[in-house]
Amino acid sequence: MKAKARKEKTPQNKSLFYEQKIRPAIKDIKFYRGLYWFIIPALVWYFIFWLIPLYGITLAFKDFNYRDGLFGNDWVGLKYFKTFIANPQFWMMIRNTLTISILKMILCFPVPIIFALMLNEIQHPLSKRIMQTISYLPHFVSWVIIVAILNKFISPYGGLINELREKFFGLTPHYYMGDTKWFYPLIILTHNYKTMGFSSILYLSAIAGIDQELYEAAYIDGAGKMRSLLSITLPCIKPTIVLNFILNIGGLLAAGFDQIYLMTNPSNEMIANVLDVYSINVGIKGGNFSLATAVGLFTSAISFLIVWATNRISRRISEISLW
Amino acid sequence: MVKNKTLGYRVGNTINYIAVFLLCAMMLYPFWYLLVLSFNDGVDAMKGGLYFWPRKFTLENFKTAFENEEIVDAFIISILRTVIGTVLTLFARAGVAYALSRRRFWGRQALSFFFYFTGLIGGGMIPSYILYRQLGLLNNFWIYILPGMYSFFDMVMLRTYFQGIPDSMEEAACIDGCGSLRTFFQIYIPLSKPILATLALFAAVGHWNDWFVGMFYITDRSLQPAATLLQRLISQVDLTKMSNQQIDAYMQNQPQTTPEALRMTFVIVMTIPILCVYPFLQKYFVKGVMIGAVKA
Repeated sequence: MKAKARKEKTPQNKSLFYEQKIRPAIKDIKFYRGLYWFIIPALVWYFIFWLIPLYGITLAFKDFNYRDGLFGNDWVGLKYFKTFIANPQFWMMIRNTLTISILKMILCFPVPIIFALMLNEIQHPLSKRIMQTISYLPHFVSWVIIVAILNKFISPYGGLINELREKFFGLTPHYYMGDTKWFYPLIILTHNYKTMGFSSILYLSAIAGIDQELYEAAYIDGAGKMRSLLSITLPCIKPTIVLNFILNIGGLLAAGFDQIYLMTNPSNEMIANVLDVYSINVGIKGGNFSLATAVGLFTSAISFLIVWATNRISRRISEISLW
Repeated sequence: MVKNKTLGYRVGNTINYIAVFLLCAMMLYPFWYLLVLSFNDGVDAMKGGLYFWPRKFTLENFKTAFENEEIVDAFIISILRTVIGTVLTLFARAGVAYALSRRRFWGRQALSFFFYFTGLIGGGMIPSYILYRQLGLLNNFWIYILPGMYSFFDMVMLRTYFQGIPDSMEEAACIDGCGSLRTFFQIYIPLSKPILATLALFAAVGHWNDWFVGMFYITDRSLQPAATLLQRLISQVDLTKMSNQQIDAYMQNQPQTTPEALRMTFVIVMTIPILCVYPFLQKYFVKGVMIGAVKA
């Protein structure tokens, strides 16, 4: 009945704009009115959990106190950035973060590519599937578990590695976690262990997308297995590799919070303290929220700069870019 | 596939097989070793020499673990947050994604842009922490669920999937008198099982493995999830080395298990649910990772 009443009112005096824009919009809204029950909570959520913390970044330029919370507080300019940079640990943290990230870039990034190439050569479908499944397992378990396993293996008190050292070489147990020389190798090892299999999915699918005729043509031309690997497979998956590299570089300053936090102990703190861990220790544990926000903002800004620069370089060199 | 059967090829292929096999064996062995330890008598395990098979088989470790109230409570919290978190967030995300996938949905483009934009930058951890404090979410079960409700990445995956379903489905439902909500629940959700299964797996694994929230946002021990409890247990000092006499003395008290064996059992109990789920969804999540990579 209501619809009918409105119809009678509409005729000529309503503008063209109304006829063409508003009316169809109202009709569409009415048609999909049920779906707004999903949209409204999402908007409320984004307002609370995204917009307010975004405003909260201003804390980096303010003196935080509990009474004012996120809003209010007095502006102090760059005070906390200055405190942070003047901190004697600042350069040490930058150095640690970069060392760990660059080591991971060099020693962890190529591993899934090689693993994918190796897996791809396995022709037996069932063994290929089983090996893939096994290699995905570490991805799905928590870092807590990976570190627990690591500790169990290299513990000086009945750890498997030390037990074998004693049995076969007669050496005394070594406390690997307390030895700073071993910290980076262990970081690389566990990182590879956890991510190798799962990251290879991407490359495997890129390899699967290569036209088989290329290989046949190469074979007819007398190319061996190695030759076609270097001249066909690698060039064909290059875009995937480069894109993944740029995406990875964005996390350069993140260095992997879970892993490093869980593997840090008092004896390796000097080389393990990275920006992320510092931010948590200062903020949530130490209560200096303004300083911690400044550290976080600093990290994000530098990360963004690095991605932007890499993307530019990549666009020049290889014509592949994120945007 | 070209059949290339030169000697060099065969040798290379065999080496490759062996290398991949060894790598996978090395990846699996740590879990096997822990399984051996958790099924072996704890005191006996301290003598070492356990590699491939339990020497003194026992279920005592598991019994002790499940009799420990703190551990059981932590697992209940973990299960609750995994189930509630996965179901609730998936429905919320799927609903938004469905709306954004309808071509005639009013506000679709503006909303898509808004959600995309929010994925790019965020406030960071510390402002969020203060917000949770002010909202009273610290030491509250909902801290596990609410902050992670929406994810642009998941919504894009779902939206792409919904767009791939022919519009004639919706039209048919519309003619039959189905409202938009009912069309979504009764037609589109059942048709999207593969993608929902993939995203549910990732969400559930994320909830199950998360120790961070329980560590830093929760101080009430009765609310800590299993991953956080495990982190606390392993960060306690390493079990000090006992001499053989001490082991004998320890055995005089006839303990059921050792803290070390209990920890290893804990790790196994945390791993088993994951092990039971992900291999069966492999086909789906491999596809999901590929779609995600194309989108990103």
